Amino acid sequence: MFSKKMVLIVGGVVLITVNVILLSVTSKSQSTSGFGRVGLSFVAPFQELVTRSVRFAREIWEHYFFLVSVYQENEELKKSLNDAIEKNNQWNELKLANDRLRNLLSFQKSLTNRVVAAEVIGKDPSVWFKTVIIDKGKADGLQKGLPVVLPQGIAGQAIEASDRYSKVMLIIDRNSAVDALVQRSRARGIIKGASADQCRFEFVLRKNDVQIGDTVVTSGFDGVYPKGLRIGHVSDLSERSSDIFYEITVTPFVDFEKLEEVLVILRPETEASASEP
Amino acid sequence: MRYCFYIGTCLLLIIVQTTVLSYSNAIGGIYDLLIPFVIFLSICLPVRECLPFILVLGFIVDNLSGSPFGLYLTFYFWLFVSMRWIIKYLRAGNKLFLSLIVVVAVLIENILVMGTFAFFGPIGELPAEAVENIALQIFWALVTGPLFLLSLLAIAKRFNIQLNGAGAAPKT
Repeated sequence: MFSKKMVLIVGGVVLITVNVILLSVTSKSQSTSGFGRVGLSFVAPFQELVTRSVRFAREIWEHYFFLVSVYQENEELKKSLNDAIEKNNQWNELKLANDRLRNLLSFQKSLTNRVVAAEVIGKDPSVWFKTVIIDKGKADGLQKGLPVVLPQGIAGQAIEASDRYSKVMLIIDRNSAVDALVQRSRARGIIKGASADQCRFEFVLRKNDVQIGDTVVTSGFDGVYPKGLRIGHVSDLSERSSDIFYEITVTPFVDFEKLEEVLVILRPETEASASEP
Repeated sequence: MRYCFYIGTCLLLIIVQTTVLSYSNAIGGIYDLLIPFVIFLSICLPVRECLPFILVLGFIVDNLSGSPFGLYLTFYFWLFVSMRWIIKYLRAGNKLFLSLIVVVAVLIENILVMGTFAFFGPIGELPAEAVENIALQIFWALVTGPLFLLSLLAIAKRFNIQLNGAGAAPKT
């Protein structure tokens, strides 16, 4: 009755109509059908697996392989930082040296004799003796017996001088002796080296007034150090009943562990000979 | 070549001892690093070569130090004489001997310095920190002395310098 062609056309129209009706119905409803959930349950694990794999691969790339360039950048930044730290350190050293030299210069102006600034370049090879080598010698007017001082106080005296270098015996050396006075009471005695950072103040009569904390200065009687230069302060004091002298320990004002630059006070005749060609 | 090695090592040790180690508070009182070197020279070189070298070495250290002049010269000389005498009876390459000899030499040097303080010093008594300093020096000598000496001997062996100064091979 109907041709085959007619059946196909009618079937197609019905299918399209049903499809359109279904679409219009489902588009109005938000609820998922059972098929949808089955599909979701079936596909989602694979989606998750793939997505996670991709994400993992991307993370590996970003956190490891991509970090090669970050690592290089980091290295460059570290290098720059080290350079900056080094420059900062140099600047600090220069600043400290500048401060010390300014200090020396202002102290130098307070001295009546001419002085020569010198740098400490070596220390005694033995722990038992306290001497240092400085980078100034006879060519600069130095000679044996000249006092070596710092703004804080006296450091020692030159005991040997070559053309360009001198050896200085510090006041903490056991062979050192400096004629000294207690600044407040004018009690006189001899400062002798005793240990690494202390001196003894010997031959101070007990009739004199000496107290802990008193400043000890050079007396000028030893013919080496000018009068009135600071030496140290009285840090310990005791009296033996059988002795006529005090037992006094003096802590020098100069920190001998950190001795870097010193001033050598020239004698007038030394100064004259140094100025000769 | 070997004289360059001796002179170079000697200068290096003196410079290190008077600059780097002197400013290092962490180490404290290090012992005289030239002692192992003098022992090494006494073992390795013939008398006619070694003696002038040791005398010059003592002279230089005396010049740099505030010690009474001749202290180091005396000590190095007698250390040399003692070593020459000892190696007649003991094997110079023996490790136990080398370990002990540095410590003994450091101790004797310190005793000599203390004797100088006690008999010739202006104060006439020993420094308060004497025991502490000597103990520290012996500790460092015990730890580093044998290593130092054995290193020198190993270098000498590499340069084919023989022990006893007379051609005896090192017996280690």
